[in-house]
Amino acid sequence: MSSLLVETHRARHPRLLLFHGLLAGLVLLLTGGLAYRQILHRGLYSERERLQNQRRIIVPGPRGNLYDREGRVLVGNRPRFSVVLNLAGLRRELREEFIRVVRNYREAAKGERPNADQFERIARAAVAQRYLDEINSILGRSEQVRVRDLDRHFSQTLLLPYVLLDNLAPEEYARLIERLPVTSPLQVYTSSSRFYPYGSAAAHTLGFVGVNDDPIADDFPGDDLLTFKIKGTTGRAGLEKKFDAHLQGETGGAIYRVDPAGFKVDLPIEKRLPVQGHNITVSLDIDLQLAAEQAMAGRVGAAAVLDVRTGEVLVLASKPDYDLNTFVPRLSQDDASGIEESGGWLNRAIQGVYPAGSTFKLITAIAGLRSGAIDRETSRSDCPGFFMVGNRSYPCNAHYGHGERDLTGAIRDSCNVFFYKFGIETGADLLAAEARRFGYDHPTGIELPAETHRMLVADPAWKLKHLNEAWFAGDSANMAIGQGFLDITPLQAACFVASFARGETETRPTLLHVANRPPQHTAPIGLDPADYAAILSGMEQGYQIGTGRLARIDGLRAATKTGTAQKRTPQGTIELAWMLAFAPFDNPQIAIAVCLESQELDASFGGGLYASPVVKAVLEAWKEKQEHPRAPDPAFKVGL
Amino acid sequence: MLPKRFDQTRPFATLGLILLVWLFLPLLVKSFTRVTFFELQAPFAAAQSYVQDLQEFWALRVRPRNELIEAGRDLARLNASYELRLQEAEQLKAEILRLENLLKLSPLPAFRFEPARVARRDFTGWWQRLVIRKGENYGLTVGAPVVFSGGVVGRVSEVYSYTAVVDLITSPTFRLAASATGDTRPVSYQGGLNDSFKPPRGTVEFVPLDIYAAPGATRRLVTSGLGGVFPPGLFIGEITSLEPSTDGLFKTGEVRLDERLGDLTEVTVLVPLNPQE
Repeated sequence: MSSLLVETHRARHPRLLLFHGLLAGLVLLLTGGLAYRQILHRGLYSERERLQNQRRIIVPGPRGNLYDREGRVLVGNRPRFSVVLNLAGLRRELREEFIRVVRNYREAAKGERPNADQFERIARAAVAQRYLDEINSILGRSEQVRVRDLDRHFSQTLLLPYVLLDNLAPEEYARLIERLPVTSPLQVYTSSSRFYPYGSAAAHTLGFVGVNDDPIADDFPGDDLLTFKIKGTTGRAGLEKKFDAHLQGETGGAIYRVDPAGFKVDLPIEKRLPVQGHNITVSLDIDLQLAAEQAMAGRVGAAAVLDVRTGEVLVLASKPDYDLNTFVPRLSQDDASGIEESGGWLNRAIQGVYPAGSTFKLITAIAGLRSGAIDRETSRSDCPGFFMVGNRSYPCNAHYGHGERDLTGAIRDSCNVFFYKFGIETGADLLAAEARRFGYDHPTGIELPAETHRMLVADPAWKLKHLNEAWFAGDSANMAIGQGFLDITPLQAACFVASFARGETETRPTLLHVANRPPQHTAPIGLDPADYAAILSGMEQGYQIGTGRLARIDGLRAATKTGTAQKRTPQGTIELAWMLAFAPFDNPQIAIAVCLESQELDASFGGGLYASPVVKAVLEAWKEKQEHPRAPDPAFKVGL
Repeated sequence: MLPKRFDQTRPFATLGLILLVWLFLPLLVKSFTRVTFFELQAPFAAAQSYVQDLQEFWALRVRPRNELIEAGRDLARLNASYELRLQEAEQLKAEILRLENLLKLSPLPAFRFEPARVARRDFTGWWQRLVIRKGENYGLTVGAPVVFSGGVVGRVSEVYSYTAVVDLITSPTFRLAASATGDTRPVSYQGGLNDSFKPPRGTVEFVPLDIYAAPGATRRLVTSGLGGVFPPGLFIGEITSLEPSTDGLFKTGEVRLDERLGDLTEVTVLVPLNPQE
């Protein structure tokens, strides 16, 4: 028996040797193949495995805040609480529900049977609804799962938590964190949305943001991986747009390993927390801004207030406007139509171009004095209420005439006749050159997108070139009082009055606040001090007893110049109410320009009557702040 | 040869079989087994606790009489002060009721106070729990808040016939809605991973940016009452530090808890009178 066995299992049997050889060859082939795949092509397969099994999530960082010059938040981020369902922990539950749904259909339904895909959708909706019911019972709500959203989430962003309820009130959030177990697939999730504590204040200046579907992943690894991006925001207007790169947060994210069904496996392989963007301190003073806007309520127009010394913009208001909070999370069609109908999209402070009206008489006076056409002591006009240029009559604002006026009196009473006479004597070229010297022919360069370039300071050469017409004395008369071929923005007018108050020619406005910013210095105004004083005196008298007297407040010396102008629009001619001011008279600190449009065609709309209340409101608010300064916030740091 | 080998592996095979059976047992059977096991254990824990109480009783018996007289006198004084506080509380309750009626406010959740002795403490890195000597027999319910003289202790997480398990405020699985004193906005308090011989700590999240705290200027953290489980104003701990979170929306920080939480002997369960609220 044993010998038989030995013979049977003889190791060196030729057939066995052949078999061994064959086997060894096959093993060698397999090993070689394996080595070829695993060693030589290791990188390729490792890469394929990585691409197949890893997913990347990109989370945009919250945007930086915008503060006013005293550290009050003008634009911030508000936490948005939502309750989310973490689907990664529900695989088993979904599978069980799927089996239950199929079984129920098999037992009960006699009609058409859903396919596997539909069964899956029914099962996942049932599971999600079960969790939503748990939330409903805690919050006393009766919400339903949006099946289409859920399907989209499963097919496109399975890695992200599914938002069951959004925008929870603080009380609801509190109830949920106390009542939901820490280990529940239901979790409270926070995201940020833009928040504007002052609603529509400085809306055009601050600007708004829009949804950005493709936030930049910066240097976060895994560019080649299948990536899910949480929507971010991009500045679409105002400072939000201008400083978008600065405000934009640093993107965070995570790379997860997923199973073949796309569910997360384990903790992230790589993770980086998003970081908030940089803050900006803008030069606006929200107290003054609100004072100006309240005084402009119901009006159409703009106001700009500058710090005379530094050019920092304290107020930049444009009406009508819009509530910035209506842009969060997105602007509805109705709200957009409402803004469109009211004309609220236009930032009139930097995009509205208007004839300067009688405020231009200051430039006419400067040009006349510098050219010698006006002598402060001897130049006089006798105003009968009109001025004849050739056979054409040019009216004064006082129908029955001002009588005899010198330079100071003409400025105080805004006498057209004086400026017709001496404007023509000065000449259009010099008037235009003076306007250009004060920067009326170019944008101010303020840090806002879409500042208009349509400002116009015309001269005879311009008229010939563009209209192919000669320049007449009547054109010079018109120009001398700020009518005709002359268009400026309210911000340019504010820059002019700030420059004039400093005795200089140009002011570069800025919306960025810098503590202890050095004063601006540009070319001097080029007037004899006595001439300069004569103009100032006219402006002060205008504030005290003249056309600007309605802006006067007790205990504050100031200087004003009012103006009324006409502007042609497609609907007809409208009147504009202008007022320029600076204060205090002895030590100018703020410069104000207000321009309001009449809302009725051919209606009388004088600057002294309509623009004065806005100037007065700003002066009152400013004076109040000087007398009762706000205590500085020790935690507030100024900076871009 | 084969049968002998099977004999040797029989214990392992049996264990494997039991595990296999356990794996496929319905969930109901499993949880029933677990509860039964706990119920069977409960008398031992309770008995141990009673023995400890007896030990303490006899330890007190050997104290000098003078000391007992002094303790009795102190207690009488304390009782007198509590009598006064009780009267004040009654007046305040009447005032609250009047204001609630006047302002047509819904009344705050009402509780029954159920004092209970601690039978066992179970402190590990993963959970921090107490077993108390009262359960369904005293009407305790899952989720009921548990407090002591120093503030919040935790929440009842499991209730058995004669015992209940309290999830301590130090446990990482414990979370409640809190607020800093002087502020009404809710923040989230959660226990942390507490080591055995270190002072108990927790964490606080979603703290508004304008709330400040530092080791030298701590801020009291109390229950907000907004969560609907804990009544408002119960002391949780002191916020010792706050740091802005990276998203810039909130601050997060550490909370120093009462060190007496580690050696509690008696707690009070607040049993809701109207659980459906």
